[in-house]
Formats: sequence, structure tokens, C-alpha cells
Amino acid sequence: MIRTTELFKCFGGRLALAPLTLEVASGEVVALVGPNGAGKSTTLRTLAGIIRPSGGRAAIGGHDVVGDPVGARRQIGYLSQRSGVPLATVVGDLATLVADIRGLPAREACEAVERVGVFGRWGSPLGSLSGGERQRVMLALATLGPVTTLLLDEPNISLDSEGADEVRRVIRQASEGGTAVLFASHHLPEVARLAHRVLVMDAGRVVAQGSVEHLAATTGIPWDQHAVDSPIERIYRALVSRARSTAPASHLSVIRGDAA
Amino acid sequence: MSPTRSLFRFELAAARRGRAVPLVALGFALAAMTITLVGLAAGGVVAVQGFARTSVSLLQLVVWAVPLVALLTGAVAGSECHDLEFVVALPLPRRSVVLARWLAWMVILGGALLLGLGGAGILIALLSGGADGWRYLRLIGVTGLVLAASLAIGLAVGVAARTRLRALGVAMAVWLVLVVGVDLVAIGALAMLPPHRAGWGLTLLLMADPIDSARALGLGLFHADVVAGPTGAALRRVLSGAGAWVLAAAMVAWTVVPLALAGWRFGRSDL
Repeated sequence: MIRTTELFKCFGGRLALAPLTLEVASGEVVALVGPNGAGKSTTLRTLAGIIRPSGGRAAIGGHDVVGDPVGARRQIGYLSQRSGVPLATVVGDLATLVADIRGLPAREACEAVERVGVFGRWGSPLGSLSGGERQRVMLALATLGPVTTLLLDEPNISLDSEGADEVRRVIRQASEGGTAVLFASHHLPEVARLAHRVLVMDAGRVVAQGSVEHLAATTGIPWDQHAVDSPIERIYRALVSRARSTAPASHLSVIRGDAA
Repeated sequence: MSPTRSLFRFELAAARRGRAVPLVALGFALAAMTITLVGLAAGGVVAVQGFARTSVSLLQLVVWAVPLVALLTGAVAGSECHDLEFVVALPLPRRSVVLARWLAWMVILGGALLLGLGGAGILIALLSGGADGWRYLRLIGVTGLVLAASLAIGLAVGVAARTRLRALGVAMAVWLVLVVGVDLVAIGALAMLPPHRAGWGLTLLLMADPIDSARALGLGLFHADVVAGPTGAALRRVLSGAGAWVLAAAMVAWTVVPLALAGWRFGRSDL
């Protein structure tokens, strides 16, 4: 379970994430969508302990990410947008490390890597794998062990349709098992298919949130999940565009902490 | 298994696969053997000298080459800590990443140096006897201290510099200051200080530079300080009593403090 209260992050003088109050319950799947620089990765990286918040609070499974970072990270599986390790890193070395840290036998890591369809690459550097294989290996390792929260930054990046199916399967299975899932994606049809709730972000702030149906209703665009030409892109654009046209007022309310 | 131990295994495996390691081992072994065999070639003699003479020559290699290799290696390793986003998101204290990297490179570079100095030592013992061999072992110990301190300083530089290029640049500058700069200050200070204060002044200057501490300890081990005139006399005073232990302790501090600083800095860094 994820809980943030007025969590914000500044890089130098630039506000990368406006005060964010958010709760993701066990078993819930929440998607972060928005243009580049919207604050999606900053949110995930702050929760994963990769970057330190400038203020506010965040807790994973009741463990404060600043006060008890190791306890918080014990709860999470984190998939970075990049590989998150040097490409010279050997698959088997990384898998063994993750298994060791999670208190599991290395065999389990090996099986997890094979389960995502990457066979016979235990001794290969990550750089020698295709982008899709690398992403699947990293996803398998991120979800290894008894994690209660998944933070996935662009999990579909570089994946073919088979890989995307695998990501969907992992997220659904995790959610059914009671894991809280927060993921960022530009792949809106996938978001509509998976997420119970969507947070639309722009310029570091949450400009709209709710189920896809709710977001569709606020824009007045009819929503049909099964339509061949899904209106999700139009809904998203309408929300971002509306937020930009009312940016000053929204921004102030975000700084006061009312928006999220 | 503790996180540091798991990370150590991970880092050791990665470091062993690097192409630079066999090159460093081979280079150091060749240099040590060459010094051992042709140390007195300029005098028309190509023969293995005893431990004492050869060690003084090898000491130059230890105080110039070892800090350079260790500082540059540490700087790169420190800057690459920032590329470990996935690892840092695992449930482990961040400082253990820095500590594990230092330990892994200590083992790798220490092994390479041991190979070079050990090979040279065996050659000397076989060809000219084992007299002063225990002093040679101490020289290997001093080399270990220089390696530990230089690697720790390099890591601290790398973690603070963040990018590999900047880290390498700063590490080179640190090497120049430690190997040449402090020497120049020491010479100037010793010329200006009254003789009865020279001992203290020299001790403080040596403590401020782990590489000069190593040089002083090495020279003292083989009594090479007797040929160094007034500086040698001051050095003898420094190394008498507990002086040598104070310098060794200073070198340990030069390892612990930069490592702690690197761990603290990395723990607070945004990746």
C-alpha cells in the first residue's frame, strides 16, 4: 500500500512534483499518465528511494521512505525506465544479487527469468540482450520475492505484443495477489485496460484523476472500452489541454495541497 | 547473507570481468620484475640486488603507480554508483554499495599488486637470499595501506563528481597534489621551520598525505633515510618511537574517513 501526503520534489529551483497526496490500496492498479516532464518518473523514483523528496511524506506498507528506507524498499519491486544497472552487468550476477537480498535461493531468480521467456542467457551481459529481452529480465527481477507494492516506470517500453502480454499478466497477477501497483505509461490503451484509477499529470501536478469512465465523463467524450477506435487519447488530450488553459489557478490549488 | 556481502560478491564478479584488471596485474608484475632485475643497470650491473636495495627502488613504484591506478579506479567506481538505480531500489543501505565496491576493488587490485610484488620477492629470495625478507613483507603491507587509502579517496571523488569524466579529472588533480604538491610544501616548510620543530612539522605534513606517509614508512623500513641529509634526520625523528604507528594509523584514517564520506554523500544523492 502506498500513501503520500503533500509529497513534493524540486530540482534546483524547479518544481518537478507539486505536493501530491495519494493512496494506492492493496490490489489496486493506478496508472500515471502525462506528457514527458509531467512528473510521473519523479513520483515513482521518489517512492522507490532513488531520489529524496524535498518535502511531504511518503510511506510504503507503513514504512516511511525517508525514515525507514530499507523497510520501505523491502516492500517494493521497482522497474526503472532505463535498465538501472550498467549494461555490462551479467544477467546471472544481477539475478543472484536480487535473490540474495530478498533471501531467496538463486534458483528462484533463474526460474523467474526463464518464465518471462529468456532462456540460456544467464551468463550474458544485459547489453547483449535485445531491448525487449532486457525489459522482461528486469521486470522478472523487479517482481521477484514477497513484494507488496510494484512501481513500474514505462513497463511496456521496447516490448513486442508478446512482451506487452507478459507485462499485463504480471500486473494482473500481482493485483489479484493483493499487491498495490503504480505504473507510468504513455501507452494509453494499455492503461485503459489495466488501471482501476488513472492520474493525469502535467508540469509536475496531478490535473485529473479517477477511473477512465469518470475521466471520460468529465470531458464529455463517450467512453466505450471495446470500441475499435478507443477515445482514450482524445480524453487524455482534452484533460491536459484543459489543465493548461487553467494552469495558474490549478497550480495555486496544488501548492496549497487541494488538488490531489 | 548480509547486503554488503551479497553486493561484494556482485561487485567482485563484475570487477573480475573487467579488461583492465589483468592489464594492471601484468603491468605491475612486469614493472616490479624489471626494477628487481635492472635496478642497478646504470652502474653497469644487471643483477638481482638484495631485498633492501630493490625495495627502495620498488617503493618508487608503490608511491607513484599504486595511488594513480587506485585513485582512477576508485573515481570510476564511485561515479558508476550513480548508474545503479535498480540496485539502489533493493532493500539495502546505500552506504553498503560504496563499501562493497571498495572491498571488491581492494581484493582485485590487491591481488594484482600481490602478484607483482610477490613475484619480485620470490625472484629476489631465490637469487640473492632471504636477508631483510621480513622488511619486504612490511613493504607489501605499506603498499596495501596506500592502495586502501587511494581507493577510498578515489571513491569519494567519484561519488561527489557523479560523471566518469569529471571524476577522472579530479582524481588526476588529487594524485598530483598528493604525490608532488605536498612534497613541495614539505620541502618549503622544513627549510623554514627551526630544527627543533622540524620533527613535528614533518609528522603533521606526512599525516596530511597518505602517500607521503607510505614513502616515509618505506624509506624508514630499509634505513634509506640515512642518505637523505637533514630531511632524513627529521624523518628518523618522526619514525622513532611510536611515530611509524602514528603514520600507519593516519593512513587507516585516510581510508575510513573518505569511505564514510562517500557512503554518506551517496546515501543523500539523487540518482
